[in-house]
Amino acid sequence: MLVPVYGFLEGDVIGLLLLVKDQDRVATLVTKLQESASVRVAPRPGMSVVHRGKHLDPALRIAEAGIEALDRIDVRGPDGF
Amino acid sequence: MLERDEWLGLARKLDWDFSYVSESEAFPEQTSGKPWLPGEAWRNWEEPFKTTYHDYVTCQAEKDAAVYSIKETFARPRNLERLPKTWVNGLKLHAATLPLAEFAAVVGNLRAARFGRAAAWRTAAAFAALDEFRHTEIPLQIFSGLVPWDQQFDWTHKFYHTKDWVAVAARHMVDELLLLADPIELAIATNFVFETGFTNLQFIGLSALANETGDHMFEAMIKSIQTDEARHAQIGPAVLAEVVKHDKAYAQYLLDKWFWRSWLLFAVVTGFSMDYLTPVEHRTQSFKEFMNEWVVEQYLESLARYGLKRPWYWESFLEALDYYHHMIYASAYTYRATVWFDLAMPGPEEHAWLAAKYPRSWPEIAPIWRRIEERWTECDPGLDFGVHGTAIVGFCDLCQLVLCNGTPNRNAATTLTRDGQKLIFCSEPCRWLFESEPERYGGHKDIVKRVLAGEAPGNVLELITKYFGLDYATWGRDVNRGDYPWLVRKSPGQRRGDDAISRET
Repeated sequence: MLVPVYGFLEGDVIGLLLLVKDQDRVATLVTKLQESASVRVAPRPGMSVVHRGKHLDPALRIAEAGIEALDRIDVRGPDGF
Repeated sequence: MLERDEWLGLARKLDWDFSYVSESEAFPEQTSGKPWLPGEAWRNWEEPFKTTYHDYVTCQAEKDAAVYSIKETFARPRNLERLPKTWVNGLKLHAATLPLAEFAAVVGNLRAARFGRAAAWRTAAAFAALDEFRHTEIPLQIFSGLVPWDQQFDWTHKFYHTKDWVAVAARHMVDELLLLADPIELAIATNFVFETGFTNLQFIGLSALANETGDHMFEAMIKSIQTDEARHAQIGPAVLAEVVKHDKAYAQYLLDKWFWRSWLLFAVVTGFSMDYLTPVEHRTQSFKEFMNEWVVEQYLESLARYGLKRPWYWESFLEALDYYHHMIYASAYTYRATVWFDLAMPGPEEHAWLAAKYPRSWPEIAPIWRRIEERWTECDPGLDFGVHGTAIVGFCDLCQLVLCNGTPNRNAATTLTRDGQKLIFCSEPCRWLFESEPERYGGHKDIVKRVLAGEAPGNVLELITKYFGLDYATWGRDVNRGDYPWLVRKSPGQRRGDDAISRET
């Protein structure tokens, strides 16, 4: 099942809509958001997903991580909140 | 024959007591606004500047003659070709957003001319409606004449009839402000907040920049409009004073609501023009400096005069003064094919100027432009889609603008679930506005929700051409086609291939 989420990349100026599958890994969000924002922010290694204030394990599947349609996710560097 | 001053008082305040209907039937709260007060409470309502119909049309005819003579002289392609390209694109932004919004203001003022609670208020609103007709016709006349020279000026009339994202946002505000608002809300929102406060940015700030840039047509047009606005804006304080007396909390709510909504609109329309589309050598002040001098100080003084507080979100607003228009401009630049005017990259001089004017925010905004420049070094001039966003962007469920509030390191977007519906807002004030009047805003679908419902295409290029109504001739580009003297391009072997670009688009 497709899950649309709002993605916010650290250092970017705008929130983007991302479409992922519920069986995709959380790491997919990092890749997709960095690709989508790459015209404004160069992709960086070591980024992770923050959802409802918690850093998520990149190996988790989207559904397991509790990410639901139209949730906000943030992709942040190691020093991010 | 009576002298003017002998009959003006009676003419302005011609009123009578109802015998066939009650006062509340003639002026229902739904259309006249709240607080609903007996007519007696409004009996002493006075507008500071009093005019007669004869004086009005005589004065307006002279002003029209002056504007149209300037138009004959300056609104010609050969004159516009002398203006900086960036400035001309700022004109396209104004040309689209201004005239039909003014036409909606005709409707709002005519409603006040019928349902305003004081006879003198109704008279003043009738003149205001005539003013707004003028503010519709003048820019339509001037800018539509430029279409043969530049097709993007076609959006002067077309804009509000499209589903372009900026038009959706502008219509959302204009519809509420001018077509939906009752006379009390209209007077406080439009005459007090919008015209007494924010339009100073246009009439004083932007007209000064027009003069600096040598755009005498725009300067004359905007100054002529300003003389009308200065008169009919006086409806606002007189209505506000009465509302404060009877329902101070409601007055505060309307002010806080419309200050925020007006701020977002002007950050785009005026913020882009002042800090990006006016050539740096002609800039006299930054957008933030204009805001502080002409809006913030005066607005706070006005609030204090009525014993009102500054809006609860004041700290967020002050932060937004440093960030918001920069964030939304950089976003718009990377989605420029979604708008009807061209945008420019700031060059080294602009970077230095912006860094000096915005020491707090520019260190976070500049890296975005460095990255965009880097992308242009990998693309040939004119290959705009190589330096363009390809993902659908998020839109606020209140203001309908893109999610660009906060800072690059902490976007201020916030979510809400209501009746099983998930919503997102660009900022806490937008969420607060929605939660304050959910029945008013709840039925509106932002562009993302339309895409997800299958009502709009999910592919950016299709969204631009099939939904926003733009095409190859009109969609926005880099104003210099990415060809800047200070930009050093990579050798052909190091550039991005056409196949990579077409894959992304």
